[in-house]
Amino acid sequence: MTLKLDNLAIYNKNSAGKRPLLEVNVEIKAGEVVSIMGPSGSGKSSLLNAIAGQLREPFKQTGCIYLNTALIDDLPPYKRKIGVLYQDPLLFEHMNVGENIAFAMVQNKQIAASQRQTRIAAMLESVGLADMATRPVHSLSGGQQARVALLRTLAASPSAVLLDEPFSKLDINTRGQMRKWVFEQLLKRQLPTLMVTHDKQDAIAAGGRIIELPPC
Amino acid sequence: MITGFQRFTLIARIAFVAVLSIPVLAGVVGVLFPAFGYFPALGSDSFNATGFAQLFAVDGIGVMIGLSLLTGVSATLLATLGALSLLAVFYQSRYLQKIQRLFSPLLVLPHAGVAIALLFILSPSGLVARMVDVLGLTHSSGVTNIYWFFPYDNYGIAITLGLALKELPFILLIALGVLSQPQIARKVHGYYQSASALGYSPSTIFCKTVLPLLYPQIRLPLLAVLAFATANVEIPLLLGSNYPPTLSVAVVQWFNHVDLSMRFMGSAAAVVQLLVTVFALLIWFVSEQGIYRCRHLIYLSGESYIRRGILKTFAYSLCGLYGAMSLAVVYAVLLWSFATYWTFPNLLPDGITTLHWQTAWRGVAPALGNTLLLGIIVSAVALIMTVMTLESETVQIESRWLPMNNRFFVVVLFLPLLVPGVAFLYGLVWFQQRFFPQGEWGPLFVTHLVYVLPYVFISLAVAYRKLDARYIQVAYGMGKTPWQVFRAIKLPMLFNPLLVAFALGLAISFSQYLPTLLSTGGRIPTITTEAVALASGSSYRLTAVYVVLQAILPWLGFLLAWWLPKRFFNPSTQANSVIGNPVYDTKAG
Repeated sequence: MTLKLDNLAIYNKNSAGKRPLLEVNVEIKAGEVVSIMGPSGSGKSSLLNAIAGQLREPFKQTGCIYLNTALIDDLPPYKRKIGVLYQDPLLFEHMNVGENIAFAMVQNKQIAASQRQTRIAAMLESVGLADMATRPVHSLSGGQQARVALLRTLAASPSAVLLDEPFSKLDINTRGQMRKWVFEQLLKRQLPTLMVTHDKQDAIAAGGRIIELPPC
Repeated sequence: MITGFQRFTLIARIAFVAVLSIPVLAGVVGVLFPAFGYFPALGSDSFNATGFAQLFAVDGIGVMIGLSLLTGVSATLLATLGALSLLAVFYQSRYLQKIQRLFSPLLVLPHAGVAIALLFILSPSGLVARMVDVLGLTHSSGVTNIYWFFPYDNYGIAITLGLALKELPFILLIALGVLSQPQIARKVHGYYQSASALGYSPSTIFCKTVLPLLYPQIRLPLLAVLAFATANVEIPLLLGSNYPPTLSVAVVQWFNHVDLSMRFMGSAAAVVQLLVTVFALLIWFVSEQGIYRCRHLIYLSGESYIRRGILKTFAYSLCGLYGAMSLAVVYAVLLWSFATYWTFPNLLPDGITTLHWQTAWRGVAPALGNTLLLGIIVSAVALIMTVMTLESETVQIESRWLPMNNRFFVVVLFLPLLVPGVAFLYGLVWFQQRFFPQGEWGPLFVTHLVYVLPYVFISLAVAYRKLDARYIQVAYGMGKTPWQVFRAIKLPMLFNPLLVAFALGLAISFSQYLPTLLSTGGRIPTITTEAVALASGSSYRLTAVYVVLQAILPWLGFLLAWWLPKRFFNPSTQANSVIGNPVYDTKAG
């Protein structure tokens, strides 16, 4: 899998002038994490929204987005198979830990329904959360929730992953560990990943190319 | 590219706009025809202005128009100033929640109930007169001079007071709803921080920085309150002078007159009522402009201890007033409903009996059944339409004919609240009698829905739009369709606000007087129509029972809305019991 942004530019309809807010031209290879760095207001979040298919007024985009060779510009968000991980874990509070992952996993047709529970148990165990499947999500610590959030994203077997300041809300101790673990998982699954961050440490730990956006 | 579900939500949006606008517009047209003499059923099929000529020949018509205008504008002004000064003094204080609670009894009690309760407290034989007498403040027992104006005074003071008391909590609620929206709350917080660093007090900061931000957001609800106050029927009917009454009450009297030819004049009066309301709105616009022109005087007047003192005194007195009122309402209404006799000037009834409750119980069943059945059906339909309409806002589509334009939609949303009921409801009845003479429940359902929909929408919209969009994106990223996201994510996460909106829908439906009376010709009684009928009759005690019922019914709704999520929807106990099948089962979705 590769994620290719071909002259992808974001415009703000309200701001004067024809200059785009930002312009990106990059091909992200399988297993690579490309980092986008820039000050607030540089349009980083809009870029992720554009790739996920959620760009809203007053923003608008030009250029093309490819997954492998398929153009996904015109696909609705739910058909793009692009997983997003935010700074908040955003676990669904009306489901328990296991259900959160299962909710994503049913989209992965390769896993039979009968195998789901064992797969979830195994996934949780691999990240040190064994026997937590039936726990309500709010009883987990921030770091634990963050791990469940990534498991959930991966359980849907996405074609590419977007990371939106994924570690900025974790405390210093868990941040380093979490960073290492997330990038390992993404590499293991050979997922093309785009991360926006304003933490230089994130970008360095990602090990991929770094694109710095100019302030506007 | 949109899914079938999304297409359905767009259709629901169109239906939403249609339900709100068609009855109102048809009603206005339907009142214009008879106003200009066209009423074939009464043997008149040519246009003329006799109705208006008759109307302006009525003795005291000028006073009626003036009363409607004056009571409406001054009550709205009072309520607005009151609500804003409460916010100015208490918005940043820890008492805010307590204050909201203090004002809620008069929020849920319908207009008719408030008017009746005020009669119990402030009439010449009411609770206040009794207290004054017991404390020996008057030299002669009996009717005391200081209450000469209440009720039924010729200047509309009692009406103004009743309307203002009832509308203030509503304005407060709307303003707090606006201030709770995250993007506004963030700004307001910043304003308070930066302005207090400049040495301003919280109440001054509110007036000079928050109010200019808040006012445009609450303007439309305020205009709706104003329109409503100029054309309300229950409060002037119960608290106003009978001769001359306000124009709105006169319209009702003329329409209900045995002499059917009065309908021409009644329709003409309804049209004039519409103009009165428009004129009241114009007065408001002009005043807004005036204040806006002098805004720099207000912004740059600095900190004033005198003004702050006045504001504080006003706000604290309002709290005192509402606290005392709420207590007095509960005391008077409850005791009256159990009283054998209650001779003046005693503060307690002569004896206690359940007779009135038994009497009411025997007769209340049909009215109670109608009230509940209608309320539940109307609120359920309103809730479904509202949810679908809100969901349609998430559909990304460019279309010229879909009502996606926000300003247009907001105006439609407030249309039934801006056009006086007496103006369009009679027109609607005219249409109904002409084309569907048999139906009763149908028109009743439609008129209730027209009034319930805007409130349910306003109540739910904030929570629905506030739901973190990133949750939705997370689910889309998993490949969930809009329908699956709606069913498995949005509905469960919004369970609480959905129930509150439903409860509000019930409360609004329960409180409708005029729509119920008119669309059925009085053939389907509800608790509210019965209460008003009894109040204009004789029995204080039986009326009290109905007021208690009027107060209890909406409370029950809100209580359920508060209790159900706790019982069934605590994520730590039984997450799936309400949704039914496990949420991750896609076959059902």
